[in-house]
Amino acid sequence: MSEERATPERGAEERAAEPPRAAGERGITALEPWPETVRWQAVSRDLIWVELLQLGILVVVVLAGLGIGWAVSGHWLFGFGLAVTLLLTLWRVSAIVRAVRAWGYAERDNDLLVRHGLLVRRLSIVPYARMQFVDVSAGPLERVFNLATVQLHTAAAASDARVPGLRPAEAARLRDRLTALGEDRAEGL
Amino acid sequence: MEPSSVVVSAEPRRRLHPLSPLLHSAKSLVVIVAALSWSTLSRVGLGRFSLLVLVLLMGAAALSVISWFNTGYHVVGRELRIHEGLLWRRTRAIPLERLQAVEVVRPLLAQLTGLAELRLEVVGGGKAEAPLAYVSVADAVALRDRLLQLAGRAPVPAEAAARAPEGVEPGTVPVVAPPVAAVPQRPLHAVSNRDLIVSQLLTPQALFLPFGLAFVVAQFLYEASYGFIAIASTLTAMAGVILQPARRVLEDWNFRLARDAAALRARHGLLETRAQTVPLDRVQAVTAVWPLLWRVRGWLRLRLDVAGYSGGPEQEGRNRPDRLLPVGDLSTARAVVLEVLPGVDLAALPFGAPPRRARWKHPLARAVLGAGLTPEVFAVRSGLLARQVSVVPYARIQSVRVVQGPIQRRLRLATVHADTAGSPGAAAVDRDLAEAWELAAELTARARAARLAR
Repeated sequence: MSEERATPERGAEERAAEPPRAAGERGITALEPWPETVRWQAVSRDLIWVELLQLGILVVVVLAGLGIGWAVSGHWLFGFGLAVTLLLTLWRVSAIVRAVRAWGYAERDNDLLVRHGLLVRRLSIVPYARMQFVDVSAGPLERVFNLATVQLHTAAAASDARVPGLRPAEAARLRDRLTALGEDRAEGL
Repeated sequence: MEPSSVVVSAEPRRRLHPLSPLLHSAKSLVVIVAALSWSTLSRVGLGRFSLLVLVLLMGAAALSVISWFNTGYHVVGRELRIHEGLLWRRTRAIPLERLQAVEVVRPLLAQLTGLAELRLEVVGGGKAEAPLAYVSVADAVALRDRLLQLAGRAPVPAEAAARAPEGVEPGTVPVVAPPVAAVPQRPLHAVSNRDLIVSQLLTPQALFLPFGLAFVVAQFLYEASYGFIAIASTLTAMAGVILQPARRVLEDWNFRLARDAAALRARHGLLETRAQTVPLDRVQAVTAVWPLLWRVRGWLRLRLDVAGYSGGPEQEGRNRPDRLLPVGDLSTARAVVLEVLPGVDLAALPFGAPPRRARWKHPLARAVLGAGLTPEVFAVRSGLLARQVSVVPYARIQSVRVVQGPIQRRLRLATVHADTAGSPGAAAVDRDLAEAWELAAELTARARAARLAR
């Protein structure tokens, strides 16, 4: 399975292997480096709902607390807090929608690319050979929406390769592919 | 208890040295006294205080004896197994191919009794450090050489295990393996103790100490309160302030660096001598730091990172085999770096500064920031006051990250991180965006080429 997937990306492999200095002349945009060699895959839009629900639970708790406080004491600060919370929620909702759309990953022949973040944009390049282990996890809300998270761990604590919002089948495929590639190319430190 | 995988090489389990409980309880004496503190002493009086200490000490001693009785270690195949615990039995298996460094530590008491502690640095989170405290010096050295041999690429486990002596009486500790053929060691560098002391006097703590002392003395003169507790606590606080420079002097005393074919050997310490062995192919990064006050003498400090890390942040920098050069001038440092990372010249690293518009983020430090690629390593420079140069070999890069914050986005800048195991890695701060992508691509490609070349 991994073999067929790897073939169309052969170009990426050659790109990566060619002498480094030649890598300079490329069309470069802020969010998408190497546009012609990398096929980005988006995460599922259902992740928006998962994150919105998580936010919703938090907001409901905060609003309930503030509302009770307002009803009991009648102090204007509680009302002010309510308004601020609602504004923040609106901003956060739009941020979540855009952030989930910005999240993407790409499997190249030798490494996994993960990009995410709106305010602080991050791109991680993790070679398969450096993989120590793969985590697949699914929280209760994620399970309701039939989603899972795959996380790749390397020996470096700073490595940051987490892909949320995958369909379980895709998550399993990614995990198996990562594991297989990791075994092929694994080395010590 | 014994796993079923043990088939061929069931080497008998061996105990630590019978004197170890004694040393452990001596160590707990210090802890007990410190825990009871000055105020307890003044409240209960000397007699009851010493009685209290004695009782606690007896308890600690009993615990150490029990723990000693239940602790054992042996080499099985390519693993070192350490068994310990009475109620919660625990067997730790340390796969030797993950061994990063071995350290023979001899605290003062151990030096008096001819014992040593063996510490292993292993890759992997959590409690990475596995100390064997204490074994006799000959045993420690023999075991170290044997572990390093097993950890090396040469697969010799069956033979090595077969050579282990049979039928060992519990309680006695025989010499493990026949001594490995002595590897020729080539001394690299020795730090003069005078330079070490001067370098630690040139730290903020040491320089501010006289002022602090004057302040305290003046206060005593005006307030005229010569209470025992006041004086004792002040002295304790003073000791706390100069603890770090003093500890550096004690730890780095007589610093000797040597290397054999495949490993670096550092030996240092006044009260507690340490002999650290770091295989050269486990060096993850080398960092050079020029502290502000040392610039008067043109000195710098070299640190190396290995992948194993131990304990929480409070142990940071204490028990890690990280010293390469406690103090030295540039030419010495260049020679040392050349030995550790062949082909890398510390004085001739090609640093490119970030673009001019980065001055909005770093009005003063822009000229200091730099990043560069040499055929062997990725090098970055930072730090306006304490200049710091980090060097990461391509083969050690675990992953590459490009991060762009909101201000950086406005200025079309980005930061490129090269992550390594067990060290902060290296970050090229605020590069031009196009250059950052190119840098990331190059780092990835070069890291891959370096991995394949090995």
